[in-house]
Amino acid sequence: MENFEIQAITYLSGELQGKERLAFEKFLEDHPQFQEQFQELSYTWNQMDQITTPEPSKGMDNRFYKMLSQEREKNARKSGLQAMLASFTSMLRPVMRPQLAYGMLLLVLGLGLGYYLNPGKTQETDGAQVVQSAETEEVREKLVLTLLEQPSANQRLQGVSEANKFGKVDEKIIEALLQTLNNDPNVNVRLAAVEALTQYVDNPVVREGLVQSIVQQESAIMQVTLANLMVALQEKKSIEPFKKLIRTKEVDGKVKQKLKSSIESII
Amino acid sequence: MQALTDNALMLKVKSGDMDKMGLLYERHKKRLFGFFYHMNGNASLSEDLVQNVFVRILKYKHTFTGQGSFSAWMFRTARNVNYDHFRKHSKECRPTEISTLEYRLQDADAGSVMDYDDTVSLVNRALQRLSPEKREVLILSKYKAMKYSEIGSVLGCSEGAAKVKAHRAIKDLRTIFLQMENS
Repeated sequence: MENFEIQAITYLSGELQGKERLAFEKFLEDHPQFQEQFQELSYTWNQMDQITTPEPSKGMDNRFYKMLSQEREKNARKSGLQAMLASFTSMLRPVMRPQLAYGMLLLVLGLGLGYYLNPGKTQETDGAQVVQSAETEEVREKLVLTLLEQPSANQRLQGVSEANKFGKVDEKIIEALLQTLNNDPNVNVRLAAVEALTQYVDNPVVREGLVQSIVQQESAIMQVTLANLMVALQEKKSIEPFKKLIRTKEVDGKVKQKLKSSIESII
Repeated sequence: MQALTDNALMLKVKSGDMDKMGLLYERHKKRLFGFFYHMNGNASLSEDLVQNVFVRILKYKHTFTGQGSFSAWMFRTARNVNYDHFRKHSKECRPTEISTLEYRLQDADAGSVMDYDDTVSLVNRALQRLSPEKREVLILSKYKAMKYSEIGSVLGCSEGAAKVKAHRAIKDLRTIFLQMENS
């Protein structure tokens, strides 16, 4: 028999069942030399049954359960840490999404680039603004001068209102406004010029110009306006021109009365 | 059924349910203790090695796939634990390996005892004289009631090869018996 070794062990261990078992028994009956071998094996195999195994001590159980509880604690600590880590990761997860990450990256890059370029730019911009505002003033000045020379009263009015927008007024503008005040054919334009010049009464040239303008005004409304202004300014130099107006025949009687009362208020 | 249940329990341990380890321990502690005891004849050492097996099972629980039987996996671990122990203590192990058994058996021999005890001591001593490789295959087969397909899995060989090993081990054991009886 080719697989006698295997068959014998299978038989002894009880794994050989049914027909195979019977076939093996028949084989042994037919082959005395194998039967002898098998009996020797069987005898030794059965002798091994006589060995007994002692019981493990209680100490083994104690050591095992101590180890298990330590392991359980370690595991609990670890899972606590893992839970913390997991919640932290879940908090971070939206941030870690690629689209958002790219967005954040771009934002940071933009901020960084902006911060890096900002100081130089600001200085440049300040300079540019100064230059720009200087240029604007110049253009506006030219615009005012041009507008004041226009034949249309509307445009001249626009010119006067443009002149109001200057922070610091130029002598040329003052001159142009005084010119308008004395010579403009339209009374509204002249009134607007008075109003515009009122802003610069601290300037002696303006004050002088206004005083000298009194005698040149033929319109009653202009005379009264200037009279009010002079009273407000308490400009004593204006007394003489007013007296001169009063002596003029063409001046309206009521205006004369107004001028007289103005002179009295100034004195 | 038992193996299936063992596998289910071990898979639960793997997923973090450590309490199931206690159940597995209760089921297999005697088998494992017997395996080590017959391998080295030292009860106290065997208890330590049983402990080592369960420590290792916990440490490597992630490697348990549930594909083979839990018993085979556990005895494979036990075999490695035994091998590692004797490799580490190779110099001192030889005398201690059989110390408990030998001393007890020698004591038994010293007193005039019954034939039964004589036979038991003879079998024990003969078994201890077998090479560890041959001893382990006989222990797994005879005392642990393992099928040869499982034994093959523990030893890392085919079922047939495991049977051939067992056959040769029994023959060697018989030779040792005869030598001891004649001496």
